[in-house]
Order: sequence, then structure tokens, then C-alpha cells
Amino acid sequence: MTVNQTRRNLLVAGAGALAMPSFAWALPGREHSDWLFSAVDDAQGNHCIAGITPSGERHFTLTIPERCHGGCLSPSAPRAVVFARRPGHHFYVVDADKRQITHRVAAGDGYHFYGHGVFEPHGRYLYVTANRLDDAMGLVRVYDADDGYKHIRDITLDGIGPHEIRLLPDGKTLAVGLGGIKTHPDYGRVKLNLGDMDPALLLVDRHSGAITARHRPSHHQLSCRHLDVSADGTVVAGYQFQGPEWETQPLLCRLGPDGAFSELALEEALTASLQQYTASVAISRQQPLALVTAPRGHKVIMLNHQSGKLLGDYALPDAAGARCDGAGGFLVSSGQGGLYRIEPGKPDAVALADLALHWDNHLT
Amino acid sequence: MPTRVPFRRTAQTGLVAASLLLTLGASADKPAPREQWHQAAQQQYTALADAAKTLEQSAADYCQSPSETARTTLEADWLAAYRDWQAVRYIQFGPIEQQSRGWQLQFWPDSKNLVGRKINTQLKADAPPTVQDVEQAGVAVQGFPALEYLLYDDAIEKTALDSTNACALTRAVSTHLTHTTQALADDWDAFGQHFETTDGYTHTLLQSAIQSVERLEEKRLANPLGLRGKPANGYRAEAWRSGQSIALMQASLDGINRGLMPGLTALLTSRGHAELAQSVREQLDTILERAAALPAGLAPALDDPASDNPALDNPVLDKKDAFSALQGFYVQVSQLRQLLALDVAAATGLRRGFNSSDGD
Repeated sequence: MTVNQTRRNLLVAGAGALAMPSFAWALPGREHSDWLFSAVDDAQGNHCIAGITPSGERHFTLTIPERCHGGCLSPSAPRAVVFARRPGHHFYVVDADKRQITHRVAAGDGYHFYGHGVFEPHGRYLYVTANRLDDAMGLVRVYDADDGYKHIRDITLDGIGPHEIRLLPDGKTLAVGLGGIKTHPDYGRVKLNLGDMDPALLLVDRHSGAITARHRPSHHQLSCRHLDVSADGTVVAGYQFQGPEWETQPLLCRLGPDGAFSELALEEALTASLQQYTASVAISRQQPLALVTAPRGHKVIMLNHQSGKLLGDYALPDAAGARCDGAGGFLVSSGQGGLYRIEPGKPDAVALADLALHWDNHLT
Repeated sequence: MPTRVPFRRTAQTGLVAASLLLTLGASADKPAPREQWHQAAQQQYTALADAAKTLEQSAADYCQSPSETARTTLEADWLAAYRDWQAVRYIQFGPIEQQSRGWQLQFWPDSKNLVGRKINTQLKADAPPTVQDVEQAGVAVQGFPALEYLLYDDAIEKTALDSTNACALTRAVSTHLTHTTQALADDWDAFGQHFETTDGYTHTLLQSAIQSVERLEEKRLANPLGLRGKPANGYRAEAWRSGQSIALMQASLDGINRGLMPGLTALLTSRGHAELAQSVREQLDTILERAAALPAGLAPALDDPASDNPALDNPVLDKKDAFSALQGFYVQVSQLRQLLALDVAAATGLRRGFNSSDGD
């Protein structure tokens, strides 16, 4: 594994890592988090939810009947929620201390989930991206965790295929990657509208449901999927290009706290090597550092999302989930079973664990 | 075996070609694996486009003057084009991914009988369906299974194809197929430069071909045979209406033999694995020989409702013999899959992904 990094960035990154040593920092509202969570398939092909300690030393799995995708932590309780993968029909609430699934909540007839959701800062309301099948309307479905995850209301997004969703630091604005791809369970995973997609990065007021910003990618087949938010409210989102694979399109965009939207152009050969596909985006809470996984390109890249400068380019087979480790670095999972730590300034990804599990694209 | 082909593209610039010849010496006689793969697939896509054109003409002929002969020709041309599609189904990247073309050619599996439902909507339309209607109606009415429904489904009377809407729809679907397959052949040609000059495509092609064999083993064979937990069910087989499930698998394996193997043999030989290439070829030969001895359909071997169609009954083999013949075929396919997914993947440094092949 190799990393390209300038001396100056290395020093800056090193200072950041020293300043913030605590893992718990990364989990707002929570004193401790003993576990990371991910959807996995085990070696026999069973679908599971896995919990693993950040050091990679211990893990457990809970078998579930469908393949899951992303997840989120409750800021108020030692719980995680993991969402079924498109076209997913349930989400699962996991009590890590008891190693139990406490709730299995259905999307309901005529709806399916896309695999992502997020809590508001108090941990009461859960916002989940979903599809309303009869008109293919993209929704954010709102659930009340204090009332047994009862469905409260829907926010309509005036668009197709909402995917990852995060909350901005203002506590009221949701950032949503709108993939733009129409699917229907009758047709399985067939993409039904590749000719006239209308993807976007959306900002949505979670109280009023108003869409406060809609930024369209530079090409209508750039499906905006995964994103993370920095402490200053910058959003970095990753695309998946649905057009001809012999074309090279930008695969990352940035929305600043000032509302300025731009696409991050990497060197063409590097963009091409990601094979039109980004999976997880994770932003450091301490520095303007974003890490992006590209499972098809078997790569992880790290960049300064303010300057757009590339800071690291790591070869990592089937690179999948990523999140910041709260200590200035990142944890990255591989579909082949590995869990790695990647730290700015260090040339190699350090293997923490190698398990007989296929980690799905997101680490919570 | 690969035929000798001229030095494409580079031959246009004499200097480059000359220096390459100097560098490569005798090996310049044989094209590189990706060049072989591209050319083999080009022949397969071109054959598919030609077969689709023939099918379109047969549909037009039948609808103009229906006769038993014209009907037989139409059915034969449908099967020939469908088999040509199977032959190149091992390529699941590049132009075939554009506009969901693979799904347009063959929407399957279809557990909710979307093909039947959508066709019947078209048949009840006030005006005869047009090519534009087919384009807008979605993948379930755009491909070979749609034509199969029109030609073979019990719900459609043999003579019903003569009705205005059914004939118009048959012609419109076949015209759509001609457009799709011609675009595929053209785009594959244009894709050649990128494919041949981008190293990553060696693994992409291998991954794609291996995955196609895995799907053949699991979805097309083991699943309907009842070897995966659920009881046998002929309706889960491809092309059960026409009774051509095995014939289509045979076409797929034959396509892999002709399309994948020359380039794969060259690649494995260049890496010192000529014996492995020989093993894969022998395994394919064994399978193709076995497939040729099987009846075209899969359902007649099963003890389930789909096999009750008397037209599908094979008088020679009873069900038990037929089923064990299919099991033997399955075992051979399974061995081929293992050779490819384990040995060939290891010999070529192919990393099989979880998310990299099926992410979200």
C-alpha cells in the first residue's frame, strides 16, 4: 500500500492527531461507544449485523433475514440502527450492550428503504430515506424512537432515489444524496430511468420539510449517493456515474457552509481508477480531511476537501465502509474481511482485524 | 482457436507498429488477450445484431401472410437470435450496461409474471402497439421473453398472433431488439480502444465471465432443479414457456468457449499456466458434449406442474433419468465454476469483491 503525501500536510495532520486523542469525541451526546456497527454477510452467505470494537479485538454478529447497508448511532442511548439495503423493507434497532435486536421496523406496504438514516440531536426522531412505490417519490420518513419507532410523518423530496442522509451541525438541516435512479421491487434492481435521471445534493429543513437547496451534478447520470458533514457544516458527497464507463466524470462534490457548491476534480487517471464508483465518505471532525472508499477501484483516497488537494491514495481490496476514529484518523472496512486504520501522515493502512465476514459499504 | 488477425490500430502508425514488432518479436504474431477478447465479442455482438434483423424480417413476413411455414421460421429465428444473445451474455460491462440494455434484451427472473401482465396491457390497447410504445413500456416487453410469451404462452391461442395488436406488438418488439442489438454492436466497436488500452479490463472481463457462470449454476440451474433448499420448480427456469432452458445454457457455455477461451488461454499461457487453460477447455468440452445430449427443456425432468405440458414430454427418458442427467450437468457446471472462480482467479491475481461486484 502506498501513500503520496507532502511533508507539510504530514506535519499538519500529525498535529491534529495529537490534539484529539479520544474516540468518544466522534460520538456526539455519548460518553462511550464500545462498538462500531456494520451490515455484513458471513462466510456462509448469511446476512448479519456486526458489532466490532474500534481496536478490532472483539466482535459479535446478529443474523437477520435481509441484507442491510448503512446505519446510524443514537446520540442518547447505546443503540444503533441499521437499515435494509435497497429495496429494503425494514430497519433494525440494535442494543449493543445486550447484543440484541430490540426493534424490527417495517417500511410498510407501498414503501421501501434505501439503506440510510439519521437521528436528530436528541435521539428521539429518526429520519430514514425511502421510496413511495406508486409514484416513485423520494421521501424522508420520520419515526419516533420514544414511541416504539412509530411512523410520524413523511417529508417529500420532489425527486427519485434518496440515499444517504446526515444532519448538519445546526441541528435542523438534513443533507440528502438524491441518487436519481428509479427502481421498483417488481423489477428487482433494474435501473428504470438511466436516460432521464435528475440527481442532486439536497438540503432539507427537518422541521418544515422545505427543500432549502438543490444542487445538481454536472452530468445527469452522476448519481449522488453518500456523504458526510464536517464540524463546520461542509458537506462532501460521492457520486456513482451511470453513463459510459469510458468517460471520466468528477466523482466528488463539496457544499460549503456558505452555500457554495463545487465538484472536486482529481487527476484524470486517479478518477478513472475509481471506476465510476464511490462508496463511503467520511470527514474528520478535526481537520478538513475527507476519506473516500472506492470498492471497484480497490482504493481509498484521502483529500483536503477545502483545497481539493489529494493527500493519500491507498490500495485496499474491496474498500468498503469508512468513518473517522475520533483520534484524527479513519477506520476502513473491506468487503474481504479486513478492518484497517488509516491515519494522515502514515503511508500504510494498518490492519486491525481480518475476519471471515464481508463488510458492506458503511461503518457506523 | 484464435485466428490470426492483423495488427489493429497501431498498424496505422508504421513507426509504432515497427517498434512494437521489434520489442515483441515472435509474439507480435498473436494479439494480446484483450485484443482477442474484443474481437471475439465483436463477432458475437455482430452475429446477434444480424440474427435480430433476420428475426425482425420473419416477424414482418409472418404478420403479412401468416402460414404454418412462416410461423416455424419465426420461432426458429427467435430461438437463433435468443441463443446469440446467450452467447455474449458473459459480458456484463461496457455498452451492455448502458440504458439497462442487458435487461432490455432479457428481463429475467420474472417471479411476478411482469412480462405476461405488461404484454396483456399492450394487447388490450386501443391502437396497435408501436415501437415507441414498446420503448416506453419498460424492460418487461422489450426483449426475448416478451416475444416468447407472444409465441408460446398458453394464454395466447396459436392463432392469436394473427390478431392486429399481437402482430403489431411482435413486430414492434423485434424492431426494438434490432435497434438495441445494432447499437450494442456499434458501441462495442467504439469501446475497443478503451477496452484494449486499459489494463483493468483484464480483470473486469474475467470477473464478468466468472459471475455469469456462477449465475448459470445458481439461478438458471440449481434453483429450478430444487438444489437450493426450495422444491424443484420448472417455472423458475428461464424460457420455460418455450422449453428451451437447457438450450439457452448450452448457448451461453458455447459463447464462453468461443469468446472467453482464446484470450484466456493466451493470458494463462503467458503466465505459465498453460495446463490450467487446458483443464478449463477440457471441462468446457465435457459440459458442451453433455449439454448436447440433454433435451432442450428443463421442466420436463421435474415433478411439478410446469412439466405437465404434454408437448414438453420426452418419450425416451423418464423423469427420473432426465433429472439425474440434469444433476450430472449441474455437477459439471459446478466444477467449471470452481476452476474459474478459484484456480483461474488465483492464477490471474483476480480479487473477487463483495461490494466491488455488488455494491449500492
